[in-house]
Amino acid sequence: MSDAEALLIAQDLRREYHMGDDLVRAVRGVSLRVNRGDYVAIVGPSGCGKSTLLNLVGGIDHPSAGSVTIDGARIDQMSDADATRFRLRHIGFVFQRFYLMPALTAIENVELPMAEARLPRNHRVRRARELLAYVGLGDRHDHRPAQLSGGEQQRVAIARALANKPQLLVADEPTGELDAKTGTEMIELIAQVNHDGTTIIVVTHDEDLARAARRVVHMRDGVIVDDRRQDPP
Amino acid sequence: MLLQLAWATLTRHRSRTLLAILGVAVSAAMLLDMVMLSTGMRVSLRNLLLSRGFQLRLAPKGTLPFDTDATIPDASTVIRVLRTIPDVTTISPVLGGQLHITVGGRTITATALGVDPSVQGDFEIAQGRIPAAPNELVASDDFLRASGAKLGDTLSAAAGYDPQLRSFTGRRALVLVGRAHFFYMPAEQRAVALPITTLQQMRGTDARDRASLFMIRARDGADVEAVLHRIQTALPTVTAVSTETALRQVDERLSYFRQLAFILGAVSLAVGFLLVTTLVTVSVNERLGEIVVMRAIGVARSRVVLQIVIEGVAIMFVGALAGLLLGLATARYLNSILAAFPGLPAAIDFFLFEPRDAWGALGLLTVAGILAGIYPSWRGASLPIAITLREEAVG
Amino acid sequence: MLAALLLAAFTQTIDSIPVRPPPRTVAIDERLAADARIKIGDRLVVTATPGGIGDTVVVGAIVRRRADPSEVARADYRVIMHLDELQSIVGYGDRVDRFAVATRGAAATDSAIRHINDAAFGFQAYRSREIAVETSRTFLVVSRFHRAIGVITIVASAIFLLCIMLLKVDERRRDVAALRLLGISARSIVRSVMVEAALVAVFGSGVGVALGWVAAQLVNWHYRGVYRTPLAFALITPSIVVLAVTLSLVLGLAAGLLAAQRLVRMPALELLTGRREERRGENALSS
Repeated sequence: MSDAEALLIAQDLRREYHMGDDLVRAVRGVSLRVNRGDYVAIVGPSGCGKSTLLNLVGGIDHPSAGSVTIDGARIDQMSDADATRFRLRHIGFVFQRFYLMPALTAIENVELPMAEARLPRNHRVRRARELLAYVGLGDRHDHRPAQLSGGEQQRVAIARALANKPQLLVADEPTGELDAKTGTEMIELIAQVNHDGTTIIVVTHDEDLARAARRVVHMRDGVIVDDRRQDPP
Repeated sequence: MLLQLAWATLTRHRSRTLLAILGVAVSAAMLLDMVMLSTGMRVSLRNLLLSRGFQLRLAPKGTLPFDTDATIPDASTVIRVLRTIPDVTTISPVLGGQLHITVGGRTITATALGVDPSVQGDFEIAQGRIPAAPNELVASDDFLRASGAKLGDTLSAAAGYDPQLRSFTGRRALVLVGRAHFFYMPAEQRAVALPITTLQQMRGTDARDRASLFMIRARDGADVEAVLHRIQTALPTVTAVSTETALRQVDERLSYFRQLAFILGAVSLAVGFLLVTTLVTVSVNERLGEIVVMRAIGVARSRVVLQIVIEGVAIMFVGALAGLLLGLATARYLNSILAAFPGLPAAIDFFLFEPRDAWGALGLLTVAGILAGIYPSWRGASLPIAITLREEAVG
Repeated sequence: MLAALLLAAFTQTIDSIPVRPPPRTVAIDERLAADARIKIGDRLVVTATPGGIGDTVVVGAIVRRRADPSEVARADYRVIMHLDELQSIVGYGDRVDRFAVATRGAAATDSAIRHINDAAFGFQAYRSREIAVETSRTFLVVSRFHRAIGVITIVASAIFLLCIMLLKVDERRRDVAALRLLGISARSIVRSVMVEAALVAVFGSGVGVALGWVAAQLVNWHYRGVYRTPLAFALITPSIVVLAVTLSLVLGLAAGLLAAQRLVRMPALELLTGRREERRGENALSS
């Protein structure tokens, strides 16, 4: 695998933090390369360090040691402001608990990252409408999060994550708060997003979601214990 | 978008926002009142003193005009000396005293001003005319109400009472020729004005060629302080005060209110600041998840801070505007209380609305709103994203 | 007249003025003593007009002004001297401005007033109380003003307290939800929230009283310095403490009750997730 193909290169990543008097070694030397267009599922038991790894490669946490390079940029060495700008343009986030802005409507939530990127209003409204239609919520523009179901909220969150056309979408347990049927719909949507060209890394306990990925990385006790490719269904 | 988000957040918690606005409004009203109080007296007194164009006043040595019963002797000499001083254009002597005026068998005591009718600056005629002849006088509404006297009536007036003879002294029949509004009299003062020579004669030897006060007008554009200095040199036995000096002295007398205004104004500002800080802190704590997610999706820390600060400023600003109206209403009420302050001219307002001061107060509150929002929002926006998300998920 | 003399009082050292023995004594007030650096035993010349001929006197006492609110802002000096000497200096003859008359009791006062007024010497007798009321009009106006300011301050404090208490109770939504899920009754939860609100209110008002006491000391220290008076400008009285504690307790309990009842009316699960509440309550107090 050449560096040109690799979108993300994580090398010997370590993350340690204190919890009370204890030193927790959440990630203990993980190296990972993710190609452009890939769809990686990171799985493992609770507390194995998969969410910490996702935070590190997503640029919202700093490694204690090691490096993270995305599209040739060392995000572990960036200042807070530079990392924030990088995330805005290059990485989309989807969280288990959706975390939409409750005060904003669906379309406003999707517009938010574009507004931050200083896109003209007409441009961002048009794209937000397209994205909401893409995730199947063309008729729910003006609903607030509290007026949407869990599945709908997560769709809005995915639309928001795709707003600035990121190269990488990271998702932490995106089906964790959804029922089986909605979860299945979500898995299909994420697969569609990947199919349309976005590189995806998900952390999940959901076997169905993991099965939908092209590559499954198993973690245990802060290290990768298995990393294999699979044929998506 | 930030404004949109701030607006949406504020309207989402309407009751809380309303309560906060109300709290800020009361603080703002108090602050405005105190700003009005701290400058009101001074400005309205200045306006009053300068309203007739007299920039200088001469009073008996060591006193303020009409602060005591003391008088200046040799008034005619004083006038002569004053006329020799360059830039002095008008000299208006005033003698104070009391007149016992009998109307319909009742005797009413009134404060009397002896003036030179041609240059007087103590009253304006509301009805009738200036008392030009030696046996004429004008009276205030309160005197007319109390006495029932009408224009054209001839009144029996006396300037003193002799306890030995048990009779009035300095009696004179005076014709009421006008109804006047007295500028420097306290509210509800029964006042009359008559030619100074008449009052001097009525008061007898006590007041012969004496005056309580000289009001002096200097030429337009003249250096008033220089004229004051020349007067002080020429007349060392009287106290000459410029409007500025008078204001300083009155300021000293009423400094309590200024100090009170400062303390209460500062307390109001602090309460408003504390209220907004508390609200913003609670609001930030409630929305930590939202805040760190905004950071995660690439919203700059300064923009997150700005969005939260906008909320604080919006509360402060709307509260301050509401406080402006509330403040004007309470100032009216408080002014009506202080209007009863003994001895002060009715024309003095303790609370005077000066647009510049009002905007200053509102600006101060808005700045307080910004400062109140900055710390909690910066703290919220600086939290480590990953750890906070984990805690929020657990919490 | 006395004030005229005092304001025109002119003091100078004895060296340049011939002494007419025996000098009488005067009492001067603290401010004059401090400002002119006059000590007991110093000789002064007192005149009615600046540069006029006056009497030489000896400072026999330095007196502190009474704590009289109506005089607090007066910056003039005060000299107390023998009556005949003052009359002679100001050329007032055998005259006085007023007499103070002591009587044997209330009934005697009535009768004395009646007798003096009937005698009709041109005098009018007043009770000391009436004079005091008249001379303390300034104080009465200031008192009314203070009361009005006090009412406004109480309104502001009430709103502030209400706001804080509502927020404080609202912060407990997750705890309340957990208690409800454990099967604790709504009544017990309301009671517990109200006890907490009461404790916060009482503790807060205790801290407030302490802060108020410190502020009062500072205000008194400041104003006593500015006006050079022993007057107390701010006093924390027991009734004020009772008012403050009662007010905060009542407001605290009211806010606690309001917020707690709102919380317990919501299904516990929705309270925990906040989802349904948000869907339902666009105008909810908080979420």
